[in-house]
Amino acid sequence: MKLYLASDMEGVAGVCSWEQVDARTPHPDYAIFRRYYSREVASAIDGARAGGAEAVLVNDSHGPMRNLLFDELPADVRVIFGNRKPFSMVQGADGGFDGAFFVGYHGGIGEPNAVLCHTYSPGVVYEARLNGVRCSEATLNAALLGHYGVPLLFVSGDRATVEGVQAQMPWVRGAIVKESIGAFAADSLVPKAARRLIRREAEAAVAGAKAARPYVFDAPVTLEVDLAKAEQADLVEMIPGFERTGGRSVRFVHADFPTIFRAFVATWRLGAQA
Amino acid sequence: MKLYISADMEGTAGVCSWKQCDPSDAHEYPAYRRYMTQEVRAAVDGARKAGAGSILINDSHWSMRNLLFDDLPGDEDLRVLSGSPKPHSMGQGLDASFDAVFFTGYHAGAGTAATLSHTSSPETIYRVCVNGTPCSEALLYAALAGSYGVPVVLITGDDTIVRETLQSLPWAVGVAVKTAIGYTAVDSLTPHAARAAIRAGAREAVGRIEKAKPFSFEPPFELTIETVAVENADFMELLPGFERTGGRSVRFTAGDYGSVLRAFIVATRIGSAANAVA
Repeated sequence: MKLYLASDMEGVAGVCSWEQVDARTPHPDYAIFRRYYSREVASAIDGARAGGAEAVLVNDSHGPMRNLLFDELPADVRVIFGNRKPFSMVQGADGGFDGAFFVGYHGGIGEPNAVLCHTYSPGVVYEARLNGVRCSEATLNAALLGHYGVPLLFVSGDRATVEGVQAQMPWVRGAIVKESIGAFAADSLVPKAARRLIRREAEAAVAGAKAARPYVFDAPVTLEVDLAKAEQADLVEMIPGFERTGGRSVRFVHADFPTIFRAFVATWRLGAQA
Repeated sequence: MKLYISADMEGTAGVCSWKQCDPSDAHEYPAYRRYMTQEVRAAVDGARKAGAGSILINDSHWSMRNLLFDDLPGDEDLRVLSGSPKPHSMGQGLDASFDAVFFTGYHAGAGTAATLSHTSSPETIYRVCVNGTPCSEALLYAALAGSYGVPVVLITGDDTIVRETLQSLPWAVGVAVKTAIGYTAVDSLTPHAARAAIRAGAREAVGRIEKAKPFSFEPPFELTIETVAVENADFMELLPGFERTGGRSVRFTAGDYGSVLRAFIVATRIGSAANAVA
């Protein structure tokens, strides 16, 4: 059983502020939470292995994507490190995996009671939809994995994140490590307890993998993005094949999902230049 | 007779440094934006002498808000495009209603031994080709004008861009206001003399419209971009329809030239985003 594990940081137990997860202008708290984050990933791997997983690929998917502390991880996994990957949070996904885990995930932009909710780029993406379905990062990333036939098995994060994922993918096991109180406060398990919960649910997720299904959108897929600002849409509408559908909105239709995914990456990268 | 003027700055007489063309520069730029404006004014005056009526000026340099309005004529037959970004950038507003195009203050393309030579973004674009032909900004936008059936009849700038452009557009009038000594040194006419030469050239150029031809490449159009660094191509490759052809190269093909030019503009923008530290 080969496992793909994408890890983010906002959904780690205790996290409730950007300062705790900001690697670029590090607050002293970042060093602390980076360790909690690494340990949650290690716990998910431990649980998955107990459930029958063998090879594990970990994709560090937060911020500059070089947060994981290697000395907190088992020695026999592979890690994707670094930023600007064309498939970003799901780089390296392909049909060779039997299942996927999302660890430390957070709610999509605009969700209430979801700490640090955003969808890729909080200053650029106001809302993203695939075939009319509102997308969190989990939705978008699960859909790329689903395109390759890989089902999402496990998600950890706050209640809004886990329940949001399970509403779209009911077969996913969840570890709810905190209850968000608005965007910048949380009622959380302590890290030690969160790790136990993650380990237990991760094991059950792999053991129950047979019930899981790949999450796919019917082709051709319509990507709609509402940008935060009109000037961002000015730039994004120049992407080949994009159509301006409103002052702050664009649409792109394509039969090939990886093309849709990369076009979404191009959207927020370009929009950030406005 | 309806005229379109795309006004750039690096090819203005006397310009030999980025400082003179950088809107954030408080020392040299204010004087040189005036020289730029006065050269555009000279082109307008020469064209009007030869019978030009309605004129659209597209401020096409950097922030695209360089032209000093007080130094332009005040009649209602003159309009000015200001600001950036514009979807068609240096060719914004071009359409089939124009009879001719002027390029003023233009500079040589990336990689040529000429003053401030570059194509759109010196930090990002190493070379850009359409159908295998290396393109300066002049050639890229001459082909946009050509796609609407509009010929370019005047180019002013340094001797390199004027000579190269006339090879592709032999019907146009070229006014070389300076000769390159190197990337940051020129042997130049004074602004006063440059304006006189541009005025005369513009007058002559209007007289050539009848015999001028729209410039175009053969469809389908293959755009190839070579980037300065691999990270620029990493970002360009994200764009739908773009194919990575090498460490520092991408390709895009389309049947209509406007799509190809817009693809180049957006690729330059997203490619430049990669120049920030990761």
